[in-house]
Amino acid sequence: MPIWPLILVALLAPFTAFGADDAYLAALVARSRELRLAERPEWRKLVHYEPDLIGSGLHGLLDNRGFYNSPEGKTRPQAELEATLASFFSDVEETPERQNPQCAFIARRAWLDEELRFDRGRLPLRACPRFREWHAALNAQRLTLVFASAYLNNPSSMYGHTLLRIDARDQDERTRLLAYAVNSAATTDETNGLTFAIQGLIGGYPGTFSILPYYLKVREYSDMENRDLWEYELELAPPELERVLLHLWELLPAYYQYYFFDENCSYHLLGLLQVARPELELTAPFRWWALPVDTVRAITAEPGLVARTVYRPANATIIGARLNNLSEEERSIAKNLSLGRAPSGEALRGRPAPRAAAVLETSYDYVNYRRATGRPDVADPARLARELLVTRSQMDVPSQAPVIDPGTRPDQGHRTSRAGLGIGKRDGRAFQELELRPTYHDVIDADAGYVRGAQIQFFDMAFRHYDERATRVERFVPVDILSLAPRDDFFQPRSWRVAGGWHRSFLKDGSEPLVASLDGGAGAAWSSRGHALFYTLGEAAMRAHHNLEHGYGIGAGGRVGALVDPAPRWRLHAYASGINYFLGESEQPRALGLQQRFAVGRDRALRLDVERRREGGRHFDSASLSLQLYF
Amino acid sequence: MKKLLVVVSVAALFPVTAMAAGENNIGNCGWGSKLFDGQSGVAPQVLAVTTNGTFGNQTFGITSGTSGCTQDGAVKSNWRTALFIDGNRDALARDMSVGSGEALDSLAHLMGVEAQDRVAFNRAAKDNMARIFAKDATPEIMAALRQVLADDAQLARYTTAL
Repeated sequence: MPIWPLILVALLAPFTAFGADDAYLAALVARSRELRLAERPEWRKLVHYEPDLIGSGLHGLLDNRGFYNSPEGKTRPQAELEATLASFFSDVEETPERQNPQCAFIARRAWLDEELRFDRGRLPLRACPRFREWHAALNAQRLTLVFASAYLNNPSSMYGHTLLRIDARDQDERTRLLAYAVNSAATTDETNGLTFAIQGLIGGYPGTFSILPYYLKVREYSDMENRDLWEYELELAPPELERVLLHLWELLPAYYQYYFFDENCSYHLLGLLQVARPELELTAPFRWWALPVDTVRAITAEPGLVARTVYRPANATIIGARLNNLSEEERSIAKNLSLGRAPSGEALRGRPAPRAAAVLETSYDYVNYRRATGRPDVADPARLARELLVTRSQMDVPSQAPVIDPGTRPDQGHRTSRAGLGIGKRDGRAFQELELRPTYHDVIDADAGYVRGAQIQFFDMAFRHYDERATRVERFVPVDILSLAPRDDFFQPRSWRVAGGWHRSFLKDGSEPLVASLDGGAGAAWSSRGHALFYTLGEAAMRAHHNLEHGYGIGAGGRVGALVDPAPRWRLHAYASGINYFLGESEQPRALGLQQRFAVGRDRALRLDVERRREGGRHFDSASLSLQLYF
Repeated sequence: MKKLLVVVSVAALFPVTAMAAGENNIGNCGWGSKLFDGQSGVAPQVLAVTTNGTFGNQTFGITSGTSGCTQDGAVKSNWRTALFIDGNRDALARDMSVGSGEALDSLAHLMGVEAQDRVAFNRAAKDNMARIFAKDATPEIMAALRQVLADDAQLARYTTAL
């Protein structure tokens, strides 16, 4: 026998407890080296090792020391594997506060036992009662990946969110509320969006895994935040499902540094899920950028992994569908009832029972919506809600809940990055342009699979070449978010916009530099039944460049626009905007334009933009035609 | 998700042993029950958990370890029905008013209502919705539902499930 395993055992001795069978540990370590277990994908996934950005090393993504048995475990898979083996000889008894390492690392134990076939006589397996109890309570039959659609008003959920659901054996479609949800999220009570965004970018929050009843998540998403849910039922063999559960148990006490763009909730959920099969490599494509919807796409792209999808509309979506089934008169009765302006008996007298029931159900949902979103415009909403329900319960008609068309699934929308190649003319001079938008969606892109009116663009850029000049940056816009939420007699959301970046602009001195700008605004949008959307926003704007008089300009203005779909693939966006800069350099730029998009399949589109602009004291027209590819 | 930190920091204020003393589950369901020390029985305890409306935070925030009504995030079996009713009061009232729905089906499932009694259960819930939801608090809702079931010959045997 070579001597090094003995030296190793001597080094590990402090970590092992009394009574460890040193010779057997040495044999296991030697065998693990022989089999090169630490290099296997199973081990890499169980300890969440990822390649270093620089060099050929690895590092574990989990950041709590307790997740590693070796002090060097975060960077040395072999050391961690050997220390894990040594820890399995510990004679720590399980208490509510403390587990034996065999139980705390129960997925590692299961895999190492499979590979090394532990001699039960020399390494007795612990019973792990706490794990067993938890496992029995979950009674898992299936895993479901749940996608919550985008929610612009919370920066942490802007791109949507994913969670994993554990469906129990004794549940069916009607009782899914009783399942458990596995959530992976940044733990913070930060409510300031900007602080969250900055901390999220630099990894300032710990991310953790938690498990809680699915009905609490449904309430949070469907009732409070009004986000539609998409449930993707996964087809995993029983041993594969078991591996995920064992590993989830290991992750519950662990934490990682949360990064908004890459190491986010969705990424770590994939990290949990991919332990199901050795050959399943889900996280690899997302080292730089993990948008929740793209992680869903990765799951649906695995052949046979998704068995079925279920759509769960949010409360606001249901109310919208209910309202579509009501006449104008019924709508106004529903609204009056929900504001407590009329006793329900009188208002509904003489109407057929199913119609009266539909009105009552709508008015109740609407009371609940206002309560959940914090609009206390009725003295005692709980009492009003109860009255409406009691009246409804006295009618002998079945539920009038509408059947809702789920539309396009989020994973079936256009892809989230976009490149464009175009030609155009500005002020009589021809140019070629290359555009690149790493993420994600604008209001002119096809809506299918996205939230209508929710524009999120990060790091949008364009490079332009005029015939007589070198290629130069036309614009570079790190952030451009626009939320156009239509208002009607039932819903009164605010529309808003915030954008910051560099745009090439004509200045009064005749130069055309890249001017830094930051603008934001708020306003309102309305929708007509013919799918047109109109909006108006008041805006404040700041810009800076040394060629400007005093080097800056601060102003106010606004924009109006209309989005119209003349045909299913064709969208028009007409707009007019203007800003009056009154501090710093005074200047009044104006723009009037028409943008058109024609979709050619899901991931291709043609864009034709024309614009008349006044800036730097001159007027000019521009037009461009481009081919856009989503990838 | 934002609330988790609050819960974790609240948890940190209490010694681990206090959080983990889950030997007698009834009467010690989570940190909220501390507010009602000295009262006994399920009712004040459930009430304790719901004191500030979003009971989920206190009860489910601590996912590793025992917290009275949960063990490592899983609800202890003797708490499942009470916590479900508590977390779904609005949805249950809505479902009962029409005599059908996901929340009502889930409740019937938790209570072990058998397939041949489901129609009667839904019917009783609808007919007695006003009675069951006469008060807002979960313990009173549970007591009223128990009474409604007791009054129904076919359903009386399910009163023990509450």
